[in-house]
Amino acid sequence: MPTIRPLLLRGTLAVLSGAFCCATLSLPASAQGAGKATEPQTVTMWSHWPDEAAKRGFVEERVKRFEATNTQCKVNLQFIQKSDLYASVKTSVRTGQAPDIFWLEPDEIAFAKSGYLEPLDSHIELKNLEDWARSEWTVNGKVYGLPVEAYTVELYYNKDLIKKLGMEPPASMQMTQAQFTELVKKAAAAGITPLANGVGDRPYPGAYFLQEVLLRKLGPDDYKLLLTGKLSFTDPRVIEAMTWVKQLVDAGAYPKSFSTMKLGESHYYFHTNPGALMFPIASWYTGRAFVAPEKGGQPKGFPLGIMKYPALENSKCPECKTLAVGGSYVMYSRSKNKECAGKLLNSIATVENGTRWLEEVLLQTGIRSDANRMQGIWVLYFKELQERSKGAKFFVGTPLHYLSGKCADTFSQVLNRAFPAGQMSVQDAATQMDAACKAS
Amino acid sequence: MTQPLPLALAPAVPPSGLRRQLDRWFAPPEADSRRTTWPALMLFLAPALIIYAALTAYPVVRTFYNSFFTIADIESAKFVGLAHFAELARDKTFWAAVRNTAIWSAVAPLLDVATGLLLALCLYAGVPFARFLRVAWFTPVLLSYVVVGIMWVWIYNYDWGVVNAMLRSVGLGSWARSWLGDPNFALAALMITHAWKWAGFNMVVCLAALHSLPSEVLEASELDNCGWWDKLVHIIVPMLWPTLLNLYILAFIGKMKVFDLVWIMTEGGPLWSTETVSTYVYKRAFNWNTFDLGYPSAIAVVWFVVVVGFVVLFNLLFRRRERLEY
Repeated sequence: MPTIRPLLLRGTLAVLSGAFCCATLSLPASAQGAGKATEPQTVTMWSHWPDEAAKRGFVEERVKRFEATNTQCKVNLQFIQKSDLYASVKTSVRTGQAPDIFWLEPDEIAFAKSGYLEPLDSHIELKNLEDWARSEWTVNGKVYGLPVEAYTVELYYNKDLIKKLGMEPPASMQMTQAQFTELVKKAAAAGITPLANGVGDRPYPGAYFLQEVLLRKLGPDDYKLLLTGKLSFTDPRVIEAMTWVKQLVDAGAYPKSFSTMKLGESHYYFHTNPGALMFPIASWYTGRAFVAPEKGGQPKGFPLGIMKYPALENSKCPECKTLAVGGSYVMYSRSKNKECAGKLLNSIATVENGTRWLEEVLLQTGIRSDANRMQGIWVLYFKELQERSKGAKFFVGTPLHYLSGKCADTFSQVLNRAFPAGQMSVQDAATQMDAACKAS
Repeated sequence: MTQPLPLALAPAVPPSGLRRQLDRWFAPPEADSRRTTWPALMLFLAPALIIYAALTAYPVVRTFYNSFFTIADIESAKFVGLAHFAELARDKTFWAAVRNTAIWSAVAPLLDVATGLLLALCLYAGVPFARFLRVAWFTPVLLSYVVVGIMWVWIYNYDWGVVNAMLRSVGLGSWARSWLGDPNFALAALMITHAWKWAGFNMVVCLAALHSLPSEVLEASELDNCGWWDKLVHIIVPMLWPTLLNLYILAFIGKMKVFDLVWIMTEGGPLWSTETVSTYVYKRAFNWNTFDLGYPSAIAVVWFVVVVGFVVLFNLLFRRRERLEY
């Protein structure tokens, strides 16, 4: 008579082998036939911009067209908020479970340096990328990102409110230090918030104004030295710029809810409720503002203007301006569907798509494009945007593209958050930045 | 010189406690009909042991191991010995996180327990709508930290938050401030939110303890004309003391690991004023634009030892107390 133990063991083994067979059979085709070009592949793609209809629409359309012309490739496209996407990707790249293609910005170049990204040199036509944009994604001579989104750091303003204060931007569209100080003081006295930034969910917008002033004051070479820890924040020119910004802060330049206001909320604060005079933000302002008002976009007929950032007296480069690569797509180095993933990225990297991006998203791109072919209701806006960059000397990259680790964290806490909130003196801020960033 | 006796001739000595225990464990099944063999035991224990080993033991051991390496690269890890621990001693942000966590762990449980006791006393005293209030006060316990965090970010909003709106409505507009944006108030604001969420739990436990108090003692105090305050301070609280102490310790240990609420409401800012050890570990591991897992592992190891140390300490204190009482 069989005892209960062998029966139990046999049963367990049967269950285990059954489960193993089921698990094997249920594996996706892509995982079982990894790397075989002839078999269908499903490319997983994670993108930011879930709440930016124009960008989302652009990506969805490109994927749809790619699937129609490449029947052996399917794309599982998902839109995820940036913070969630980063948290997931940073974990999954280590365990071999990251998506084949994901969204990244150049401040996360550590992904490439740590070997988590596939060089795109052999996958896409590099000649279709702007040289400056390509350089932002280049590590050891290899290109790791497809720079779909690019932007300049702009100073948007409300034309009606500035008139209400009895002021006008000069013909050059760049105010002097004195004019700008007067504008901020007048606005604050009239109960209008001068600058509509909020840093509740981002590590950089609070520093936009200071960074642009510093860039103009120092010029691109010394500004780069500052960002790479080779120039002290206690340099007299830096202190002069910070002291001026501190004067504006003390005059009430930023909203009282600055520390907790989120990026999306700051857009609404600027154009709708309560309405602010100016908005120092990147040119991706359009992504959130140029949608229907009921979806949080700016009101119809909103008197949007763009002026240049003011320059301190004796600024070395008043015409300087930040240009940067934003959202890009990268390929995971351990992807099992590199062929389809590469084809997909290559299908996006065309001059035609660059121009479409300009038309549909109203934002610059790192893919080569032809702005003269642009059409549509926002052409005038785009012309004004181009006008503000005419004759500009571009500095490529934002501070966070240069800073990392402790230094980036200190930038986020000090220059982005506490300093513009009026919680720190100039000297304290400079000392903290030096302590975290200065190269020994 | 005495020679040792050959083993066979050695007198029979009763086995020691440990030996007795081992004999019992490894006794053949027929010696104890309630016991089975090792393979059968392992078959039933294996699922639980495998899950425990994979999801608890291995991550802990691996974290200890990782803390001796710099792990930035996909392929390799560089052994650095105790370098991370030495760096930790000089890391100002870490010490700010330790200070904040210590303040939170020590102070917030007092607020939690005091609020819970107060609410329980209200219900015990039979306030009107007690049934409704019991449910209402317990509801926050059921809410997730995400919901609570978002709600309180709104409550603390400078422009239209309830707190500032109330201050303005009673003519105290100058007191209105960005509660989560001011380094002097942010930590306190978070602690209040946390106390609000957990007050209901403490209330339920205190209420159960209140109902189990011996009624003859309370009645005797009333016969002696003892006022409500004296009754509370000299009779109720001393008799509830073990419960209150348990609640405090539970809250203390929980707050040593606080993460969710801080992350949702302030992400450790402004100026690291609400940074806790847990948020700092997460930031270093997944939020900074660097990839090293070794340093955050070192922080986790140090904090693990600290938390375990407190658990052991409280256990010892409790044991001693029990011996004294009984």
